Amino acid sequence: MPTSRLTALLLLTPALVLFALLTLYPLGRGLLLSLVNTDYGLADAAWVGADNYTFLLSDPFFRGAAWNTVAFTLMATLSEVAFGLALALLVNARFPGRWLVVPSLVAPFVLSTMVVTAVWRAWFHYDFGFLNNALRAVALPPVEWLFDPDLALVSLVLVDLWQTAPFTFLILLAGLQSIPRDLHEAAQVEGASPVRRLWTITLPLLVPHLLLAALLRSIESFKIFDKVYALTGGGPGQATETLSMYLYRLGFQYFDIGLASATAVVMIVIAGLLAAVYAWHIVRGQSDGGR
Amino acid sequence: MGAASLRIGLIYAITGVMLLPIVWMVGTSLKPPLEYVSTTVDLIPDAPTLAHYRALWADDILGKVLNSLIVATGATLIALAAGFPAAYALARLRLPRRLDGVFLIFVLVVKLSPPLVLAIPLYQVLRTIGLLDTLPGLILVYQVYCLPFAIWMLLGFVRDVPIAYEDAARIEGAGLARRLATIVLPLITPGLVATAVFLMILCWNEFAYALLFIQTPSKFTLPTYIATLITEDETFWGQLTAIGFLASLPILALVGIVQRGLTRGFAGGLK
Repeated sequence: MPTSRLTALLLLTPALVLFALLTLYPLGRGLLLSLVNTDYGLADAAWVGADNYTFLLSDPFFRGAAWNTVAFTLMATLSEVAFGLALALLVNARFPGRWLVVPSLVAPFVLSTMVVTAVWRAWFHYDFGFLNNALRAVALPPVEWLFDPDLALVSLVLVDLWQTAPFTFLILLAGLQSIPRDLHEAAQVEGASPVRRLWTITLPLLVPHLLLAALLRSIESFKIFDKVYALTGGGPGQATETLSMYLYRLGFQYFDIGLASATAVVMIVIAGLLAAVYAWHIVRGQSDGGR
Repeated sequence: MGAASLRIGLIYAITGVMLLPIVWMVGTSLKPPLEYVSTTVDLIPDAPTLAHYRALWADDILGKVLNSLIVATGATLIALAAGFPAAYALARLRLPRRLDGVFLIFVLVVKLSPPLVLAIPLYQVLRTIGLLDTLPGLILVYQVYCLPFAIWMLLGFVRDVPIAYEDAARIEGAGLARRLATIVLPLITPGLVATAVFLMILCWNEFAYALLFIQTPSKFTLPTYIATLITEDETFWGQLTAIGFLASLPILALVGIVQRGLTRGFAGGLK
């Protein structure tokens, strides 16, 4: 096409300006800020080199937050992929009412995280919450969902599972529907049991979709902030403080801009590693002729 | 036959459990406080009341709905206006090969960056240009996520437009602007609508930036308003569920579109 590069550049300009102002500049600025000490405000910022980073690595709160983030990401991703897979396998057939069941299962995913959090905070309430009321109804002892340090992070996973399992469910359902029917029919003729077909045909062919779902969910879980902020505030103690919450506390409550920026840089590096895996996955998918 | 009906029973049971929190939300929003501050399981209100909705009305809920609408609409329009030309340029015009790769990395970095990571420098950007604590400022920072998402989605739709149509029009002397207006835009209208729906939901639900960059309560969007209600009182559930239900209504109406978008696979960036 003989249209000039100038035209292309003109068309890209608005997007490039916004990108430069809102992403490139902040990224660079954040990197710079991570190298200064801002105890007395930005005006007296002093160059401290890598001090913020060495401090972070020795800070038990930072390590705790990093550990909580990893634990949350692993638990959330694994449970969401497993539950999404179970739902997709169940729903991947004709049955009466399917047109109503699928959108109902998707509904939690479109809700605002704040609405989700509002409902679950009420459900977790020790005295009057729905969950403990249900436990009492079957004569089980009530549980301190959000105030037991050993349980609080799991409670957060439970909320995340409810909200985002629909997402993995839809990805895996699409994957199941892309498996050719005749493969199953042929295996059935040969006398393979449903369980055997699941292990030898369905799951191996579903691996790319399983990986994609796991990757997308781990990227999102790694960012978690809203739910922690509104459900536990990072507590009890430090039990549910994730890296985003740690950054929020340092940057927007203690105004320690240098340390908060260093935390941000560390998070970007970790995210970058995840991005490399993701990009590799996409590029490989394209050379295989697309998903 | 037994296995099949067992499977269907299981599906209905799970669907019921998944819907319970939403059913509870609607039920509680209609209950007087005496009914929901209780130690028994009860989803249906015995004496339904609209008191919580009336209390919201008195608390200027309309103002918050309006703020949310302004921010979501504004951010969506800007993302489409800047995103469509960019997507067209990336899909059609001869760009250096490397630029494609650079764009992919840019989309990935943005998608992967937690909102909090960019928050401190963005705070300073907004303060410098005088848009801190304003709705236009929030619309601007939402472009961090909206713009790459819009470009990503629109790119696929532009690529679906047969290039032969445009070639034919060019031979007849139609310039770029004319081709965009008479061929490309009409053909990707469904794609534009789908993209707009996703962007609206994304902005309607966004919390972190609204929390950090808006301080004046009268400028709160629905999620930040809900957050203040959550932390204000332990069992403020009547109003909380009423506002939650109101905020969810327009979005639940769009579930079908979201579902189709997700199965097509282009909506991975929604959350």
